[in-house]
Amino acid sequence: MNTRALRSWKTTGRIGAALLLAIPALHRMSAGEAAGAFTVPPPVDAVMESHCFSCHDEDSQKGDIRLDQFHALPLAGRLDLLNKVQEQLFLKAMPPAKKKQPSPADRDLLAGWVSAELKKHQASKLEDKLRYPAYGNYVDHATLFSGEITDAPYSPARRWLVSPQIFEERVKDVFSLEGRDRQRSFPGVTNPFLLPDQSGVRDYDNAMLNGGHLLVMLPNAEWISSKQLRAARVKKGEIKADEFPNANDRWAPRETPAAFEAVILKNGVPSDEELIDAIQTQFGLVLGRKAQSDEIKRYLELTRSSLEVAGNTEGLRQMLVSVLLESEFLYRLELGDGEADPDGRKRLSPLEAARAISYALGDRGPDAALRQAAAAGKLITKEDFRREVERLLADETYCAGPVDPGISGKNMQSHVTSHPKLVRFFREFFGYPMAAKVFKDIERSDGYYQNPERGTLGTPGFLIEEADQIVDWYLQRDQAVFENLLTTGEFFVYHDKDNETGRKIIAEWTEAYNKLKDTDWKANPEKVIAENRAFIQSKKSLRILGGHEKREFLRHMYFFGETIGKGRTPFTTVSFAHGYTYNHSIFYNLPPTPGVFRYGEIENRNFKGLDDVEFWDYPVEQPFALPHRKGILTHPAWLIAHSSNFHTDPVKRGRWIREKLLAGRVPDVPITVDAQVPEDPHKTFRERVENVTQKAECWKCHQHMNPLGFPLEVFDDFGRYRLDEPLEYPEHLISKATKKNGADVFQTKAVSSLGELLGTGDPDLDGEVKDPFELIDRLAKSTRVRQSIIRHAFRFFMGRNELLSDSQTLIAADQAYVHSGGSFKAVVVSLLTSDSFRYRKPTS
Amino acid sequence: MNKRMTTRRNFLRASLLSAGGMALPGTIPGLFANPANGTPMRFIFMHRGNGLFPKVMVPPSLSQQDKAREEKKEPFEVDLEAHDLPDWMAPLQAHKDHLTILQGLSGKMCTTGHHSWCSSLGVFKANERPSSIKRATVDFELAKLYPSPMEHIELACFPTDGGNARGSLDGVAMGFSARGAQQPNYAFGSPKGAVEELYQSVSSNKEDQIKYQLERKVMAFASENQARLAAGLSGIEQTKITHYADSIDALRERNRKIEAMGDVLRQHVPQLDPKYLADNLSTLDRQRAHAEVLLSALISGLTNVVAFTVDELGHHYTGIPGIENEKVNMHDVGHNKTIAGVEAEEVRKRCRHHHMTLVDTIVTRLKGIPEGSGTMFDNTMLFYFPDSGETHHSQGWEYPFVVMAGRNAKLDLGRRYLRLPYHGQEGHKTLGNWYTTLLNAYGNPIEHYGDFDLTLRLDQSGPIRRFLA
Repeated sequence: MNTRALRSWKTTGRIGAALLLAIPALHRMSAGEAAGAFTVPPPVDAVMESHCFSCHDEDSQKGDIRLDQFHALPLAGRLDLLNKVQEQLFLKAMPPAKKKQPSPADRDLLAGWVSAELKKHQASKLEDKLRYPAYGNYVDHATLFSGEITDAPYSPARRWLVSPQIFEERVKDVFSLEGRDRQRSFPGVTNPFLLPDQSGVRDYDNAMLNGGHLLVMLPNAEWISSKQLRAARVKKGEIKADEFPNANDRWAPRETPAAFEAVILKNGVPSDEELIDAIQTQFGLVLGRKAQSDEIKRYLELTRSSLEVAGNTEGLRQMLVSVLLESEFLYRLELGDGEADPDGRKRLSPLEAARAISYALGDRGPDAALRQAAAAGKLITKEDFRREVERLLADETYCAGPVDPGISGKNMQSHVTSHPKLVRFFREFFGYPMAAKVFKDIERSDGYYQNPERGTLGTPGFLIEEADQIVDWYLQRDQAVFENLLTTGEFFVYHDKDNETGRKIIAEWTEAYNKLKDTDWKANPEKVIAENRAFIQSKKSLRILGGHEKREFLRHMYFFGETIGKGRTPFTTVSFAHGYTYNHSIFYNLPPTPGVFRYGEIENRNFKGLDDVEFWDYPVEQPFALPHRKGILTHPAWLIAHSSNFHTDPVKRGRWIREKLLAGRVPDVPITVDAQVPEDPHKTFRERVENVTQKAECWKCHQHMNPLGFPLEVFDDFGRYRLDEPLEYPEHLISKATKKNGADVFQTKAVSSLGELLGTGDPDLDGEVKDPFELIDRLAKSTRVRQSIIRHAFRFFMGRNELLSDSQTLIAADQAYVHSGGSFKAVVVSLLTSDSFRYRKPTS
Repeated sequence: MNKRMTTRRNFLRASLLSAGGMALPGTIPGLFANPANGTPMRFIFMHRGNGLFPKVMVPPSLSQQDKAREEKKEPFEVDLEAHDLPDWMAPLQAHKDHLTILQGLSGKMCTTGHHSWCSSLGVFKANERPSSIKRATVDFELAKLYPSPMEHIELACFPTDGGNARGSLDGVAMGFSARGAQQPNYAFGSPKGAVEELYQSVSSNKEDQIKYQLERKVMAFASENQARLAAGLSGIEQTKITHYADSIDALRERNRKIEAMGDVLRQHVPQLDPKYLADNLSTLDRQRAHAEVLLSALISGLTNVVAFTVDELGHHYTGIPGIENEKVNMHDVGHNKTIAGVEAEEVRKRCRHHHMTLVDTIVTRLKGIPEGSGTMFDNTMLFYFPDSGETHHSQGWEYPFVVMAGRNAKLDLGRRYLRLPYHGQEGHKTLGNWYTTLLNAYGNPIEHYGDFDLTLRLDQSGPIRRFLA
């Protein structure tokens, strides 16, 4: 931080900035005194005398803290105490609000001294914490968007651990796979990376390689290198073409790179030139660059000595393994290159820039055009970046793929789109994929909820995928994206086919049902099939012929009868399809669709017909309007993700709104607090939470969460809209469940949906709200909410928390959104052409 | 909040306590630990697929009254001294004094059904995706308490079909234990491969020696490479590289320790019968050979904890007595299909009997190794249990255990048949309670290990105190 930033902080009186400063005068003073006994500089001592010692001197020692004895403490104790002071000052927790407050200058003086002392020993825990996602909002929001900060933005020069998706793509690059060949997984490669489970941006640049990664990478490198050499070994006759160490693992690239093949096929010792060629080839495949002279020297030495021990093939393979174990394979390098500008910043090198752009928009490395631009020196200016970013955003194929292959299972596939990475920002921001981590009592859902199990993410998997579809729908339209995602009344439910396909299916089914309904299909299905075989065959959506024709025909007709026959549109996938598991419509308060076993008994001699159930009148055209829903915060996936095993979680839901939409801060619950909601059979969950959090020491934090979360109590922990809450205690039991996994029926109590919005900074929006829909409408109109989403987008694309010096980048991104009518792509272009994205500055 | 749920405070306390007993994330714990003071305990976790019926655990000589209790799954216990063991446990007759048959533990918080993957060792729901692993499995937690050069060794008769098939029987593949959250362990499928890997440093085979030499060379090169890179950096960027470099060095240090054990290792290289080295090893021979590897690894001090997947549902059994030439699909056995004229229950029984011969081999051998004032078995506990509960399509109602415990085991188990209160009854205990007991007994003070059973309306945290007496 330079003096301009210091000035701006002092002007606004924000003590947080002082943490990031080393005040030279104080620093010199402390350093000078380090040679002798430790002393607190008199000006600092005077501030503490005025504002701290009344509680923290020899007489009081509140909280067992003394601040008048720094000189008597050993170094470790002193640093520990300084860290405590630093955090309290940063959070403005000290002096307490009821005490006389120091002037901004005095605060800066004290905080600056503490920071400088800690910095001397690289011992600041707070500065370390501030790099983590949970501390993103600690930089003051108003200052960030005030326009006062004019510092030149940059990102620290860094190594950013590759994401799980990027790792997979990098392995494919090692094998130079293209097209359909890239759509494979490798049985011998285990992905060493997993992003943390949390609601919010997850992929930060502060993660680092460790022993766990190494243990996974060792066998990975063995497998990859063996596959790289296999074709040449077969050619040489070292192994037979049909010889595999593992019969179930027969895949290998069709060719071994020529430079490797030359070494393997050579009878005798390869020349230096041949080995260097091989080294350069592996560097290109694995690291995407040429080896430098010192690297060539070292790798040549390794390869030579390995060749001597084990011959050409195995010797060469050790070199391949060694390159695969380079940390650079697992980190994205963004170090900057060339001369530093007057602000000490360096531009990303062309290769770094190409990769940064490519990995920001997708998981693959740079495409040919981007590589070409980098090689031709056309990846330097802001306009260069804009040209490439806009080109890739317009490209429908290069980055295309599933949003999250991890949720795909035996019954459901992840939504596929042109730019999964953009969808991933919103799914991380909203945190709805966390629904898969919350296990539920299925009986409480009346047997409809399926917890994640082997091979399927169950109900939450479907709900997450449907939320992905909404996000992508509005991303594709790219207008008022934030507002639409917050307020949309239209949703995708069971939308497993596009609208046109759905229309065709319903038309065929309706025609078939109308044609056959008056035949003797129940009594003589075989006869009806025989008489109408050509007709049935002509309808592709009728999968009746070829197998158990009678059974399939009857199933179809019963299915049509209780849907089309009753004037309802059936879901376009029949419930008796193999592996059918759609049964989550009730979590949107929609009627059910027939279950997988509904037509199982129709051929049974004792079959007496089907009970009358009012099935869902399925909307083929989607998205479609759903009552009592407004945006992602009312989507069952989000509501489940922000619930507990047995209850809603108004505190968690409120906290999410405070932190993610209002850029606010809520301290973690102190470890000494037993965060339990006491049982009370006569109260709703809201009432129980209110009771336990009303004490002053609780309300201090809960005031920032409860009033925002309470309106969402009109949705239960399965995401179902409700006006009344069942009191699930034995004394309120009305009737026991009447079916397997069914829900008991309890007496209910009305749910209050009142709440209060505070913190938008806009008096027209702040105030009491009658329900979640009013709360959401107001949030969607808030400038602060829009800017808060921009801040999170910054974190997603930059892989770090924003610094004050990123102020201009954030303001530009915000303005890009506003001036484009709410285009998220405009935000992305703005961020990826910003100085924060393009410049790097070495960390101290 | 319900009593059955953990509280945040308890959770945090438990986490912190447990963290105290664990290495920092990302480190390779055993490699940094000091050698254990005194004699270490050894733990052997033998688990098998396709369920283990509670009814087959019951001594046939129970009184009518106890039989009635057993039928009703009411809690009771008897001294095994006065009772016959079930036929299939006959190989344990000589070790009856050290035997406990433990019934009534439940594991409904685990993934059940056909497979449980890491569930029954980790007490959480696991679905074959590393992301579903919530914590280090109990065997790894115990391994941290008794550090050794290899920390932990896992051997497996891998499944080759079913829902969680591995690529081959002989490879090194994801095992059934976990090193930590989201960190699956890797297991040796082939006894031959395990010997080659574990005893590579003392191998007399030229090819092995070359492989060993090359691996060491690559590790040394990688270590130098990363150290050189780190030297030019500072702050967090330096830490990002040194962390990795330190991990490489830690592995090298492990190798150095193993090399330093060369003389001991040479004495204990398993001398496997040539039939155990064949490519088409029968299942029973594979199990015997794995038992030999297990013994040599424990006796030589390479590790103090071994997890042994005796079989898994998707493993196709060969070598079952009487139907040696049949390739038995254990899924069919699970569905009571008669195999070559042998009824499914009999097939199960023959397999179990064989498993008990393995236990007999292990216990007998360890009893023959002097250690301190007694034998190595005095400092050993062995657990034989199903990975997926009470039956083929299990629901986690019961996890029967055969426990063999040496005299220095810190649990009050004894020569007993012991049925704990059934699921839902007052005093019922889960796998979480059982493993908490083990961890507490051996020095990890964790308040509760594992997830809670959402269906259980009882306070279910903590150890089984009667065993800690």
